[in-house]
Amino acid sequence: MTTTTIDLQQIGAEIWAAILGLDLQPADAVAQHDSDVVVVTGVVQITGDWAGAVTVQVSEGLARTATALMFGSDPADVTEEEITDTVGELANMTGGNVKSLLAGNCQLSLPSVTTGRDYQVHISGAEVVERATACCDGELVVMTMLERRH
Amino acid sequence: MRALVIDDSRATRAILSRILQQVGFATFDVADGQLALTWLADNGPVDLALVDWNMPILDGLSFIKIVRANPAYADMRLLMVTTESDIERMIMALEAGADEYAMKPFTASVIREKVDILGIKLPDTPVAGGVV
Ligand SMILES: [Mg+2]
Repeated sequence: MTTTTIDLQQIGAEIWAAILGLDLQPADAVAQHDSDVVVVTGVVQITGDWAGAVTVQVSEGLARTATALMFGSDPADVTEEEITDTVGELANMTGGNVKSLLAGNCQLSLPSVTTGRDYQVHISGAEVVERATACCDGELVVMTMLERRH
Repeated sequence: MRALVIDDSRATRAILSRILQQVGFATFDVADGQLALTWLADNGPVDLALVDWNMPILDGLSFIKIVRANPAYADMRLLMVTTESDIERMIMALEAGADEYAMKPFTASVIREKVDILGIKLPDTPVAGGVV
């Protein structure tokens, strides 16, 4: 099943504008987070007629900004649990919007979230079919779609 | 007017609660459909429930079916707020008894518009963030 019409950058921009009031601008396509930056990754899996996953990766700093906006609190006061919740929900919304563009019947998993430095997200049997990079407040947002090939 | 916000994301519950408080609701929130049923059994029906679809334990669609099977909750307005945006899902939710459907990502004005459509009569002066 082809997925060529899915514009992750546009989906991300709509979500970040509506929910956070933040502007996502397209960034250099090959940009990636520096290995010394703490990166928070939200993942939702999609199963059914299309199988794979959607990921959203942000630096811990940008995750903190987004979390403060969601909770209406000060960035210095947000907790790890709140950051995890926020990035998970951003992944959920991104995955849900991707799913609505896929043909056939698909189900969305609950989100999972990983935090750390210098790691790669690997979904067994799946490879990256779409990758979008965006810039928000001078920080990088990376969104990917991984498709599981049977 | 009382509203119950049901979503497994605490961040989304926080945003939706703020939007509803700004138009005059007293809000309460829980993380899944099962907790919502327990809350309702303990506290009685609310005027409005905002219901996420994808939640652990008991999802939003199952919650709506259970609520609609209970005459004690007949007057409750149910607004589904979910990332499930395919038309088939929307029809499924409305057939199960949801009164309205809003998609994530939502904006404050979309939520206010949906509350308006549901015809819930709010006090003239919005309650502002608990400041006396
Ligand atoms: Mg959810």
